[in-house]
Amino acid sequence: MQSAPLPETLANLLGLDPNNTVVMIVMSLIGAALIGALMMTNTALAGPWAKRKITAAFTDRIAVDRIGPYGLFIIVADAVRLLSKELIVPEGVDRPAWDLAPLVIASTALLGFAVIPMGNGIQLADPEVGLAYVFATASMASVGLVMAGYASNNKYSFLGGLRAVAQNLAYEIPLILTGASVVIFAGSLQMSEIVAAQQQSLIGPLPSWYAFVNPFAFVLFMIANLAEVGRNPFDIPEAPTEIVAGYQTEYSSVYFVLVYLGEFIHIFLGGAIIATIFLGGPAGPVLPGIVWFLIKIWGVFLFTQWARSAVPRVRIDQLIEIGWKGMLVLSLANLLLTAVIVGVTV
Amino acid sequence: MSLEKPSRDTALDVGVTEDGLDYDALADLLGGHVLDREQHVNSEGFVIRPDEVQEVLSTLKEEAGFDHCACVTAQEYDDRYESIYHLRKYNDPTQELSVIVPSPKDDPHNESAARVYDTADWHEREAYDLVGIDYDDHPDLRRILLPETWQGHPLSQDYNQDQPQIVSLREHANPLQDDKRSEDDPDTMFVNIGPHHPATHGVLHVETVLDGEQIADIEPDIGYLHRCEEQMCQQGTYRHQIMPYPDRWDYISAGILNEWAYARAAEDLADIEVPEYAQVIRTMSAEMCRIASHELALATFALDVFGDFTAVFQYGIRDREIVQNLLEDLTGQRLMFNYLRLGGVAWDLPEPREEYFEKIRDFLDDLPHKLEEIHDLVTGNEIFQMRCVDTGVLSPEQVKQYGATGPVARGSGVDYDLRRDDPYGYYDELDWNVVTEQGGDNFSRVLVRLREVEESARIIEQCVDLLEQWPEDDREIQANVPRTLRPEPDQEIYRSVEGAKGELGIYIRSDGTDKPARFKIRSPCFSNLQTLPEMSQGEYIPDMIASLGSLDIVLGEVDR
Repeated sequence: MQSAPLPETLANLLGLDPNNTVVMIVMSLIGAALIGALMMTNTALAGPWAKRKITAAFTDRIAVDRIGPYGLFIIVADAVRLLSKELIVPEGVDRPAWDLAPLVIASTALLGFAVIPMGNGIQLADPEVGLAYVFATASMASVGLVMAGYASNNKYSFLGGLRAVAQNLAYEIPLILTGASVVIFAGSLQMSEIVAAQQQSLIGPLPSWYAFVNPFAFVLFMIANLAEVGRNPFDIPEAPTEIVAGYQTEYSSVYFVLVYLGEFIHIFLGGAIIATIFLGGPAGPVLPGIVWFLIKIWGVFLFTQWARSAVPRVRIDQLIEIGWKGMLVLSLANLLLTAVIVGVTV
Repeated sequence: MSLEKPSRDTALDVGVTEDGLDYDALADLLGGHVLDREQHVNSEGFVIRPDEVQEVLSTLKEEAGFDHCACVTAQEYDDRYESIYHLRKYNDPTQELSVIVPSPKDDPHNESAARVYDTADWHEREAYDLVGIDYDDHPDLRRILLPETWQGHPLSQDYNQDQPQIVSLREHANPLQDDKRSEDDPDTMFVNIGPHHPATHGVLHVETVLDGEQIADIEPDIGYLHRCEEQMCQQGTYRHQIMPYPDRWDYISAGILNEWAYARAAEDLADIEVPEYAQVIRTMSAEMCRIASHELALATFALDVFGDFTAVFQYGIRDREIVQNLLEDLTGQRLMFNYLRLGGVAWDLPEPREEYFEKIRDFLDDLPHKLEEIHDLVTGNEIFQMRCVDTGVLSPEQVKQYGATGPVARGSGVDYDLRRDDPYGYYDELDWNVVTEQGGDNFSRVLVRLREVEESARIIEQCVDLLEQWPEDDREIQANVPRTLRPEPDQEIYRSVEGAKGELGIYIRSDGTDKPARFKIRSPCFSNLQTLPEMSQGEYIPDMIASLGSLDIVLGEVDR
């Protein structure tokens, strides 16, 4: 499973010297573009098409089926539609922040994919602090949300931005603490190490994925992840029926696309983290690693859509109560217990 | 059924006898306050002085038990203005009394009843807005349906309909001007929720002052959907021209219930007897409307609490669709049924009848399973309970003060259902229960609606049984009603039915012509919406939105 990072592979593939700095910079850029394109393709599939189809299946409807096979060309139609809309800039917005926010939201999530091992040697970089890096990039999106909320000069957006901060504070800590329990198991923050540590067999054919080793942590992480990506029951910063889509309210056209895209990439990044630290990364029988990896992140995506269709939204005060009084305590207990178990057995 | 009926307090029993209300005893109670007594079709009317309204009404409320101010009707005669307070009792709405307050033509004003009945607040504002009577000592006498800048009072006699309503820019409030309401307290923020907002179920404008996420002050602003329904009805003939309008009040599938409100009032006014067969069809189709309306109420409430267009919303719509198809088969329309006629219904059941009955029975057979599914998904959901139990609480006292009716009242344990308490149609022949819940919170109101769907299904089933066995030569769908209906002049009637949202009442005054001289609609949503500030003060925004959803208002009926 251990293989060289993507830029090196690319360099070797093209017969260039992997020790040359210029070559490596170019190869890194190409690699980043490839991974970015891969994730954007997934998002394009998920946003205008898969999300509609999945929600329709949950709610007894048919959804897009007019354009192209299975309505797939709606992706093109939607892209044209969204990009050709007028960009409305409301009066009194805080200009640089308002323009930057969609970029921050969309790009930070994308950054996280740099260290995710996707199988078949597709991993842009494998730093020793991989997991810390990925959590850092994932939580940077909240900066974008606050910027958007604050700069929009709209009270709904403002409330949405404040909610986003409160929610992320309440859930980031349990999320990272639970992630840390995995680090204790694996003994490393490096993504490839964490994946490699999950390859042995636990019982019979069951691999020692941390989801099986510590299901409690897995459930905690899945819940915290829902809050992190802002999906039901934790779609509080958006809450269309209360604060009219919150921080998104004033964005239109390309900016809206970026915000929306950012959200989906964020969901996929959440899925990628879960796949890597709990579901054995790209591991799986028969099919190539990248396929398994995609299946796993789409599985997490499906889960968020399921929650979105079927679970009521909690109230902001209830969410904070769950976060600080429930999740935090549970994740600390989990961390402590893991440390004790690992300390005793190893 | 009789769980909540309080044992009659003898002090509140003035004039109550075995065979109806003894108005002499009530007149004795009021003594010299009663200047004159009028005969209305539904009750007697006591004429009182305009400056004694509060005294008379509080006496009637405190000592005679008239705890429900159903409606305030205002109108202008050639020689005077008149406000009529239609009083009833929550534990027996057949005990009615109209308190008539005349006021002089040149300076129409009388004392406000809002200090006695909170519900009179909005009703009197409407009377001021449309007819032009000033109410002294009213807490906040402003226009309610029309814009603040409107010139004249449309239902007064000297109103010039052709007068253009020109408002100079200077008189308009500057929309960009900072709102002053939150300035006294720098910790609060003023937010306009609506008129365009995903959760206001139409064009409702809620002026909200927020303290953080909590509601510090809230005021519903209505009138965006005002379509002069009362005036349109006054310009239509009784026989045919009015009936299509009720469909447009509560326009989300409660059409036949609304039509029945008009039909009942006009039939009682003109003394028309409806054939039993037609009454059974009316009862059946009205209950179908109730199911459709409650399904939609549940669906939109789920929308408010769950977030997006979720599974529950779609399930609600899916189940409603079946009822909608049944109604379409019966009436030929999906929303604007126009099916009832004075003295009967438009036509008999669709042929072949067996097939139609089969369809209804299929629907009824599937219903328990579907309700179970919804209970699993909604009322059994712990997050849903977390959100809805003990939020938006409305006490029975508040219900009565604000004249709330329907599922809103029954959700607070006020056992008030006109189908049972003031029977009409075929309801008193059938076996069904009035559903009440004690919680008074958002959850109880949802539960009441869901359980009422079951009761409605029971009613429909019994109606189908009856209709199936109805002898073929006795299927009379229409009584003999003159082509041009001219009720006796100077009769007044206030009649109400249990609409989907509560007590839907109609006041009609006849003047001997074929059109009503005054047509007043008592909309249940109008009164129910008044409780929103009580329910949401101090609550979080999401709970306010949920409360608004649980009130199940239709702006078409609020604004008329």
